[in-house]
Amino acid sequence: MVEVFAVASGKGGTGKTTSTVALGMALSERYDVTVVDADTGMANMLFHAGLSDAETTLHDVLAESASVEAATYERFGMTVVPCGTSLDGFRDADPSRLREVVARLAADTDVILLDSPPALDSRAAVLPVVMADRTVIVLQPTIPAISDGLKVQEYATSYDTDVAGLLFNKVREDGIERVAEKTERYFEGPTLGAVPESERAREARRAGRPLLAHAPHCDAAAAYRRAADSLSVRDGQSGEVADRFRSAVIPEPP
Amino acid sequence: MKLPQGRLRKSRVVTDPREPLADVLDRAVTGYAVFEPQDSLLLDADGRGVVTFVDGVPVVAYHTGTDRGGPPALADLAVPGPYHVSVFELDGADLGPVHDVEDLRVPPGMPAERLAGDPALADSTRRAAPPERRAPAGTEAADDHGAVEAFLEDEEKIEAIREQARQEAKQRAAEWELNDT
Repeated sequence: MVEVFAVASGKGGTGKTTSTVALGMALSERYDVTVVDADTGMANMLFHAGLSDAETTLHDVLAESASVEAATYERFGMTVVPCGTSLDGFRDADPSRLREVVARLAADTDVILLDSPPALDSRAAVLPVVMADRTVIVLQPTIPAISDGLKVQEYATSYDTDVAGLLFNKVREDGIERVAEKTERYFEGPTLGAVPESERAREARRAGRPLLAHAPHCDAAAAYRRAADSLSVRDGQSGEVADRFRSAVIPEPP
Repeated sequence: MKLPQGRLRKSRVVTDPREPLADVLDRAVTGYAVFEPQDSLLLDADGRGVVTFVDGVPVVAYHTGTDRGGPPALADLAVPGPYHVSVFELDGADLGPVHDVEDLRVPPGMPAERLAGDPALADSTRRAAPPERRAPAGTEAADDHGAVEAFLEDEEKIEAIREQARQEAKQRAAEWELNDT
């Protein structure tokens, strides 16, 4: 089985990478999980997963100078595929090869989480949402974040990508239940959870460790675990998923 | 809401309301800003939003299209952008009568937090607020979702945002030749 989720938000700063890694770690208690830094322009995941010295990254794979296997790392109970930080690496990487990478990874994992770019303004930016089976939309309880989340949903559904659910993140105050309830009316997926803003999350990022490894008992970690528990992973046939990605028609940029 | 005409200090098109809010705070402007959506596709686009400031800190909000004040006015002026924003200076005494209208008032950090989506700017704004406007810890928070909830109650506007995104997604899918995926 395999299901591919894009973890997406229309705007930056919502804590998408923290959320991707946290959901990945929580899901890894039940599934074989692979997390991929699909935000190729803004490498971030390596800093969250203790991989800042990783020599081979997704950039090398997308530049066809390394195999997928060489850019995968077993960390914190998950398989992590980070991007690199060098500008050259980014320049040489062809994001459209991501579909082949995901197809390869789909062969032997249960869940793939794609940490997606915080924008919808280019083909490369929408690609993870296009390729995924479902998307987890990360929101903050603000008007622009919810507006951008609606935009992500419309893009996703226009490519037949379903909405797995909403994750409110960096919540700073009470009353989120009412906001979540009203927000849900416009989204085609349930609220998976509300994660409080957390100093522990900032510490974890500085320490280069996932929140669930750094402070497993904090409120934010517990909220991520509950969100992961409410996410029911669907059975997809690995072979079919791989074929679907391989056959996706994504031409080279002109 | 009636305000005397102020002295125009700045007038420009911005993509995000964060920019004028940050600028007004930096310069500790006393006066008001007029937000005029540039996108006529959305509802309420004919109305304008007005936010007043004392020393850069928001005090009241009003929307001319919906005639609503306070947190709902922030929701009314929220559109995906761009906005034409004009900032006017006005003496504090001229703002007094409007600032006394309780229904128009907004918590100091609300425009930055909920309209601009910038918690750090909201924190700076709250710190700049005079002590009597600083809510005791935890109490502003309870009201602070007001603008977001008012936004979520505007079904027509949200449908307009979704429809606009659908059209954009479709058009771009064709441009990017992603139709076959």
